[in-house]
Amino acid sequence: MNTAHNPRVEIDASIFNPYSKDFIRNPDPTWQILIRDYPIAWHRDLQMWIVSSHELCDRILKDARFSPNFRVWELAPPPKPEDQKTDFDRAFEKGFFAVGPQAHLRLRKLTMPAFSKPVMSQIDAKIRDLIIGCFDAIGDAEEFDVYQALAVKIPARSIARMVGVPTDLEDFFHEFAVNVIKSTRINLSAKEREASMHKTLPGFKYFRDEIARRRALSHPGDDFLGSLIAASDAGSQLDDDEILSVVFALITAGSDTATDLHTYLLYALLSHPDQFELLKQRPELMENAIIECLRWGSFGKVPFFRFATEDIEFAGQLIKKGQAIGVNIQAAWHDPAKWEDPLKLDITRRLDGNIVFGAGAHFCIGTYLVRVQGSLMLQEFMRRYPNATLADGDGRIDYEWTHHNARRINRLIVKTNRVAARKAA
Amino acid sequence: MHSMKKWICVICGFIYDPAVGLPDHGIAPGTAFEDLPADWICPECGSPKDSFEPYTE
Repeated sequence: MNTAHNPRVEIDASIFNPYSKDFIRNPDPTWQILIRDYPIAWHRDLQMWIVSSHELCDRILKDARFSPNFRVWELAPPPKPEDQKTDFDRAFEKGFFAVGPQAHLRLRKLTMPAFSKPVMSQIDAKIRDLIIGCFDAIGDAEEFDVYQALAVKIPARSIARMVGVPTDLEDFFHEFAVNVIKSTRINLSAKEREASMHKTLPGFKYFRDEIARRRALSHPGDDFLGSLIAASDAGSQLDDDEILSVVFALITAGSDTATDLHTYLLYALLSHPDQFELLKQRPELMENAIIECLRWGSFGKVPFFRFATEDIEFAGQLIKKGQAIGVNIQAAWHDPAKWEDPLKLDITRRLDGNIVFGAGAHFCIGTYLVRVQGSLMLQEFMRRYPNATLADGDGRIDYEWTHHNARRINRLIVKTNRVAARKAA
Repeated sequence: MHSMKKWICVICGFIYDPAVGLPDHGIAPGTAFEDLPADWICPECGSPKDSFEPYTE
């Protein structure tokens, strides 16, 4: 039987270096070694545990003793004195990633109306309009770059529309979103995190002013922000910092991450023409196809972080209070013990028990937005370019090697074959 | 007698409809939410039963 007295299993960057170009291009061989030989191991260079098998990742995500609150981390900077706290600090401290399990459940209950059908159907319409605009800009081009034409434009703007930012402030919002994410990444230096955090402050001020304006109205509005302001559960309501924390959560969950959604969806389908054809014939598979494409592409680079709130015996290892755990869910999505033939893209695959959107209390709050964005984009793409292929066979794919978080594809050229198809007709 | 009302998971939005049950997970149609086992978890996100609230459309 495994006990905490087992010697600590250790690895280093020679086994798993998420920043190496070879890994970014082709991560699966590394993931398979981690899953098979080191399902849990202390990474000497990253100074954190790396957990890679599906079973162990799933268990950690559902175990409240592993907190996403980086203040629990042994290397976290000390909390600031009250008079030095910024809007960023306050939104973080009251947010989904920082509060305890009961307070977290209260937050989720209060935010649920903002994700209700009537609010979401307004958002559907706004995002559809945005996506059609992106495709109109591509028009009849013979080739286009998915990254520049779609992936850069759609995600942050979708969230901006969701939270009611006017279209002329979408670039401002995008900058805000990127800096919010960078402020929370423990793989960046403390100095870089601090610099990014300061750049978020104009964005927080914008939302604080907007919340005050809405509160002064007789009715705060039926949109997302209005629903958060009006939300009430047994007399409890969200205060301004909590509403800012929801915006914070939406950004971290769904803006920069969704950039990869668009590139990897099209990369997956166009590199598997049989699956692209199948989706055209059976559009009811759309939601399953999106999740399967994300599982297959597994675009993450650096694992998700959790922090041990106490000493925990886990899978034969002793995880000490305050230590960081890299929950390598990208590897788990390719774990052959969970997924038969994990490198095969099969949009009809049964995806029960998948952890593509995480699991447990911190299940991705942006999941609905991901599905809406992904399906609207694919529907429009298939309608306009049913004969599309990857240019030169591989889309002349390239990666942003230094991205802080993802195996970010920053070039994917699609050949529309639209003019050729019209001539042949 | 337990009601046939729907329940929603406040974490992920999954709606449990007792009229439909979850046949793929061995939960027969007609099974009230209250009659699901205490250790039953949300099939979408894995959250425990106390993450659910009554849901009205």
